[in-house]
Amino acid sequence: MRNFGYTVARTPEDAVRIAAGTRNSTFVSGGTDLLNLMRDGAQAHDHLVDINRLDLAGIAVDRQALRIGALARMRHVAEHPLVRRESPVLSEALLASASPQVRNMAAIGGNLLQRTRCGYFRDAGSACNKRVPGSGCPAITGYNRGHAILGGSDHCIATHPSDLAVALTALDATVHLLGPDGARAVPIADFYLLPGSTPEREVALRPGELITRVDVPRTSLAAQSRYLKLRDRATFEFAVVSVAAALQMTGRTVRDARLAFGGIGTRPWRDTRAEAVLRGRPLTETTIAEAGRVLVRDAKPHNDNRFKVELVQRALARVLSELGGVR
Amino acid sequence: MTGLVGRGVARVDGRAKVTGAARYAADNEVTGVLHGHLVLSTVARGEITEIDTSAALAQPGVVAVYTHRDMPRLTLPSFPFLKGFLPLQDARIHHNGQPVAYVVAETLEQAQEAANHVRVRYRAERPTAHLADALGEAFLPRPFRDRPNEFTRGDAAAALKAAEVRIEQDYTSPTMHHNPIEPHTSTAVWNGNSLTLYESAQGIIFTRGVVAKAFEGFGVRLEDVRIISPYLGGGFGAKGPTWPHTLINAAAARAIGRPVKVVLTRAQMFTMNGHRAEYRRSLRIGATRQGVLTAIVDTSTGQLTRTEESIFNTSDSTLNLYACPNVHVRQMGIRLDLPSSSYMRSPETTAHFGLETAMDELAHELGIDPVELRIRNLPATGNTGNHLQECYRMAAKAFGWARRDPRPRSMRDGNEYVGWGVATETHTYSVFPSSAGLTVGVDGRATLRAATQEIGTGTYTVITQVVADGLGMPIEHVTTLLGDTTYPPASLSAASATMASVIGPASHAAQSARDAVIALAVADPRSPLHGVPAQDVVAERGYLFPRGDRGRRDTYHGVMSRHGRPVEVTGSKQNTGGRSHGAVFVEVRFDPRLAALRVSRVVAAYDPGRVLNHRTAHGQVIGGVTWGIGFALMEHTVVDRNTARVVNPNLSTYLVPVCADTPSVESFFVDRPAEDSTALGARGFGETPGTGVPAAISNAIFHATGRRLRDVPFTQDKLL
Ligand SMILES: Cc1cc2nc3c(=O)[nH]c(=O)nc-3n(C[C@H](O)[C@H](O)[C@H](O)COP(=O)(O)OP(=O)(O)OC[C@H]3O[C@@H](n4cnc5c(N)ncnc54)[C@H](O)[C@@H]3O)c2cc1C
Repeated sequence: MRNFGYTVARTPEDAVRIAAGTRNSTFVSGGTDLLNLMRDGAQAHDHLVDINRLDLAGIAVDRQALRIGALARMRHVAEHPLVRRESPVLSEALLASASPQVRNMAAIGGNLLQRTRCGYFRDAGSACNKRVPGSGCPAITGYNRGHAILGGSDHCIATHPSDLAVALTALDATVHLLGPDGARAVPIADFYLLPGSTPEREVALRPGELITRVDVPRTSLAAQSRYLKLRDRATFEFAVVSVAAALQMTGRTVRDARLAFGGIGTRPWRDTRAEAVLRGRPLTETTIAEAGRVLVRDAKPHNDNRFKVELVQRALARVLSELGGVR
Repeated sequence: MTGLVGRGVARVDGRAKVTGAARYAADNEVTGVLHGHLVLSTVARGEITEIDTSAALAQPGVVAVYTHRDMPRLTLPSFPFLKGFLPLQDARIHHNGQPVAYVVAETLEQAQEAANHVRVRYRAERPTAHLADALGEAFLPRPFRDRPNEFTRGDAAAALKAAEVRIEQDYTSPTMHHNPIEPHTSTAVWNGNSLTLYESAQGIIFTRGVVAKAFEGFGVRLEDVRIISPYLGGGFGAKGPTWPHTLINAAAARAIGRPVKVVLTRAQMFTMNGHRAEYRRSLRIGATRQGVLTAIVDTSTGQLTRTEESIFNTSDSTLNLYACPNVHVRQMGIRLDLPSSSYMRSPETTAHFGLETAMDELAHELGIDPVELRIRNLPATGNTGNHLQECYRMAAKAFGWARRDPRPRSMRDGNEYVGWGVATETHTYSVFPSSAGLTVGVDGRATLRAATQEIGTGTYTVITQVVADGLGMPIEHVTTLLGDTTYPPASLSAASATMASVIGPASHAAQSARDAVIALAVADPRSPLHGVPAQDVVAERGYLFPRGDRGRRDTYHGVMSRHGRPVEVTGSKQNTGGRSHGAVFVEVRFDPRLAALRVSRVVAAYDPGRVLNHRTAHGQVIGGVTWGIGFALMEHTVVDRNTARVVNPNLSTYLVPVCADTPSVESFFVDRPAEDSTALGARGFGETPGTGVPAAISNAIFHATGRRLRDVPFTQDKLL
């Protein structure tokens, strides 16, 4: 691990100013991802700006939205009564993430910006286009069980690992940012980028920009939401496949639906076409299966992850039938 | 004997461990110590063409950087040094993650940082990383430690051909790593030609031999080397052999003239200290319609390297467990560009998984209950016989096996299928020459010393218990000291050998010391026991009295304080190795729509001879079963096919079971002394629990789903 400088920021403006003015710097909140990456040599910074003292840990609600401060810890958000009542999918996604120890440390902003678990990315001794642009992608011809079947390119097929981001994607959250040029808000659908030929660019953050909070619109849809996560061991493990779903029914008919997926896409994967299949139609095994088929229509599986095509459809079917009371 | 032996005495070192008072090897603060960090190769095969250490040497705090060009030349030791070469002695690269430089600095952080500045260029060749890519190159390796790799009994080929029923299947298992929670570490302190190592070693006597051999060119003799290893945070076999980092670190400390400490990182532990080799196994079993085995042909193919051909995952259970007249075992290997494999927790599991799955396939084919099939094939004589049958009876009853509907997919609970599977648990145990020194001090308290070690299994506790029992002393009056080569030589803590090797000498020492103290008492005019025939005196809870006359008593403390000098004895006793057995029953639950599987119940019974401590024995069962679940469902080192580099060298992607994957485990013991064991009737047992679990899970999955899985780990994709 390289030596680095360290400053504790007192205000968000302060943090942004220091970060923008210091070469090769980055923010640190819980450090649960950043420090591992730095130790493994997958990421190197000359300077860390500690943002834990910023007054951004609150969780508040008003008429429009649930407003979650970027420094709220995963645990606090997961346990918050308002979150549990109004957006259970958020709470479930967080509780299915990492371990209690990690959730005590890790903050929401850091969670959204955690890096992929692709083993080649995290090993400084391997090639990786995301880490060293142009060096190649060993995952495409190598081991790719954990990798994406949707949204990949010839340069990168790594999945985004955050469960929370999947849930926020289903709920149309907005990410609020503060940068050297002021504040702005980015819908989560535009926040995560496809790898294309620039897999090193993962998010629509500009240099020095700080996540200040995440807003989740208050809808009756969000209140009817669930997160299902399938993984290789019972806890403390990332998703092989996950589904965040919100469903609003009128009788047996789907009034509205939101579907987002983890483990299958190079970014938290929203599929509005699959949602459209369900909207206005009765929720039956047939319509559910059709939504699943639409979801994987463009899937491009690799050697070790073909099973995800089938598994994600089964996971979707399970969540929807439970949410909609099918059988 | 005062009934201490067998009791579930709590860990005597428990408090020290949970309060942090126990000093593990890396906890020792040696004054003036430097810190070393290894630079590992990023190619798997080829040669170093250029190595530039100037930038690293210019980093703050750096004392030295060694490469193959300037590393002191050492002698290549033989077993238990398992590698066929010593790194940092020449430019050749034999595997990815091989040491190419060693950076020594004032602090660990400085050494790690400087390591980033070592520039290495290679002439790289394309490696072969998977068995599947070299199947045509399988060969029968030379005997390893005098054991040939081919065994024949009867005429298996002919018997197979003539068999009424045949099962012919292939089974595979991937590379796995030991992953003890404590990383490997070594601190070398030289004083002239004597060397002290604070070492995470499962066998300090073994390590001493390897280290002395490596430095023999410097005039270092065996007695110049001292290894200290009082506690280990697990080893699982990884710390039994001695690995290059220990030798490299000691050589650097010698050259620099200051103590140096090395602690491997987790990632380095995926190429520096052995692993369970990748395996493919082809099993051909023949039987009569009544389920009597007539032939077994077991051909295994394991990963070897280009520098050694050692087979660690032997097919002992194929050869020894069942009474089959015609057996042909071949343990083949394929050379790949990978590090040397080694012994890893219950090495025979690799082979046994195939055998016990095939037995279930045979049972299904014949329509015979799998428990009954096994019992029909147990040998009539030897220690396999009756007690294993009793294990089957005990565990089957507790599990409720009689209620099993043998048809696959026949048992349901709500939306889940329930599957019940069974397998024999069995492993070889070894015995190593051992002795123990016992001192009874003038305070009447006893201290036992033996150069074996505690790897977390309860060695301190059980030895203390046995010694207190033998002396007739309260357990609090006995202290056991382990993990120092200045103590009497004793067993490796591996190969299930510790108890079988050390308990005989410890109890012999206790009895000799007790007799010596009694002799002092009866000869001492100031003792109430003066003149009593020594053979009539008994010892209990620290008191000495004539049998049946507790009123006329002396104490250890009384006798020893009057005597004024400690009593010192040495105990030794030979024992022989063997096998110990058990039966394990597993219940799985399978959600067919999500293809999600979990293990919901495990019940097992064992015949470890006499149980010396029920609590530590049960602990061993929990540990073994948990690793068995890991072997079956998740453990898997991913080696990239193109680069031969490990892709998941950390505990967040090398999965081992967490508590939520592990149901409560019920264990039973036959608990009858083994007549052939001098360890108070205890057999070696450590590696037996868990050996049958992967097969039992596979068999339970078949019962739940109708699907037979033969390739571990059984991940969700294989169950869809
Ligand atoms: C063993 C293990 C298992 C895990 N399992 C899961 C899992 O199952 N599911 C899951 O979703 N996650 C999992 N995680 C990941 C975990 O959720 C993340 O490590 C954590 O959320 C990161 O938060 P942090 O505050 O520690 O971020 P840090 O490590 O401090 O930072 C991460 C990144 O975010 C940046 N950053 C932090 N805050 C801000 C901000 N406000 N504005 C701009 N940039 C910011 C940092 O610069 C850094 O680049 C696991 C982690 C571990 C170690």
